[in-house]
Amino acid sequence: MALQIINAGPNPADVSEQIRRAIAQALPAAAIEVRPGGPGHFEIEVTDAAFAGKPRVRQQQLVYGAIAHLMSGPNAPVHAVDRLDCRLP
Amino acid sequence: MNLDESVKQEISDLIGSHDVVLFMKGDRSQPQCGFSATVVGILDAILPEYRTVDVLSAPHIRDGIKAFSSWPTIPQLYVRGEFLGGCDIVQEMYGTGELFEALGVERVEAVRPRIDLTPAALRALTAAAAEHGGAGRELHLSVDAQFQSHLSIAPRSRADVEAISEGLVLLLDPISAARADGISIDVSDTPNGQAFRVDNPNAPKVRQMSVRELSQRLGAGERIELLDVRTPEERAIAAIPGAVLLNESEAARIESLPRDTKLVLHCHHGGRSQQAAEQFVALGFSQVWNVVGGIDAWSQEIDPDVPRY
Repeated sequence: MALQIINAGPNPADVSEQIRRAIAQALPAAAIEVRPGGPGHFEIEVTDAAFAGKPRVRQQQLVYGAIAHLMSGPNAPVHAVDRLDCRLP
Repeated sequence: MNLDESVKQEISDLIGSHDVVLFMKGDRSQPQCGFSATVVGILDAILPEYRTVDVLSAPHIRDGIKAFSSWPTIPQLYVRGEFLGGCDIVQEMYGTGELFEALGVERVEAVRPRIDLTPAALRALTAAAAEHGGAGRELHLSVDAQFQSHLSIAPRSRADVEAISEGLVLLLDPISAARADGISIDVSDTPNGQAFRVDNPNAPKVRQMSVRELSQRLGAGERIELLDVRTPEERAIAAIPGAVLLNESEAARIESLPRDTKLVLHCHHGGRSQQAAEQFVALGFSQVWNVVGGIDAWSQEIDPDVPRY
């Protein structure tokens, strides 16, 4: 019988895709790149015209707001976003 | 994420309760995480008064504020009802000066600290920078809230302050810069190789208090925590009125107090209490005294009714 690994974290590639989809839902025109880092850590790059004229904190709020459900609660798949770059196309 | 209406209202009320409201872990006198401590350090340096909300003591606010602000981390700074940002943004705005404008206070230039290097330290730091630096990575010095110094090699941040000593450039974040003025760095040989030795004149130290001064302060009703670090057996022989035995539960109580609480420690002659006092300074307490001569001096100079042993 194969040993079952209990408590293995979610597959980082799956979580990256969840992050990408959640951002795409909020910012449909955005180009989104998600790179997994350490366990639960991710780097995100979003390029969208919707960021135009907004200060950095407001741009980041748009992204963080979109992925809040992935970052809340004790079993959140995303523990930390190590880097969040919001760019204009 | 759905935010309960009552929680939303509570958060709105908190944000409206003061011009500057910081949602943080711990409180202003005792931050419970490094990021919160950094923001408190910056605000303390430029604002006489602001309000803090400890999210650790209110889990519904801790979760609620993240949804409210669309911001996943604590601390969060609100200024006149507007979300300003978290630790990184506040630090950056402090470095660029934008924070002063946002808070409506006059701009204070970050101090450029004076740093002394011994020739050996200069050689060692220059070698370290040459070996590990380059490609935009430079020597950094940071001084934490306990005044412990840390050297590292990292990319330059916009907020960094430059200190130039003997032609060597050291970068410091603005809070570290304020804590580092007058610092001296040397290198010494240890069994594990060379180690940097940093002497920081700004670091809080254990101060010395005579029994006469202690008696006056107690007589004046000053709020101090007078701690007896002797054994219960010694305490049964003689004790200074008002002193509390520093046992485990008492130590736990003291550790939960604000870091600017006045702590006065005594033992039999002043040796053990000096060591204990140094430990409280290491924990971040800024007002710590050792009673010179201990209870023996008290018996001789203040109260002969306290037996000597």
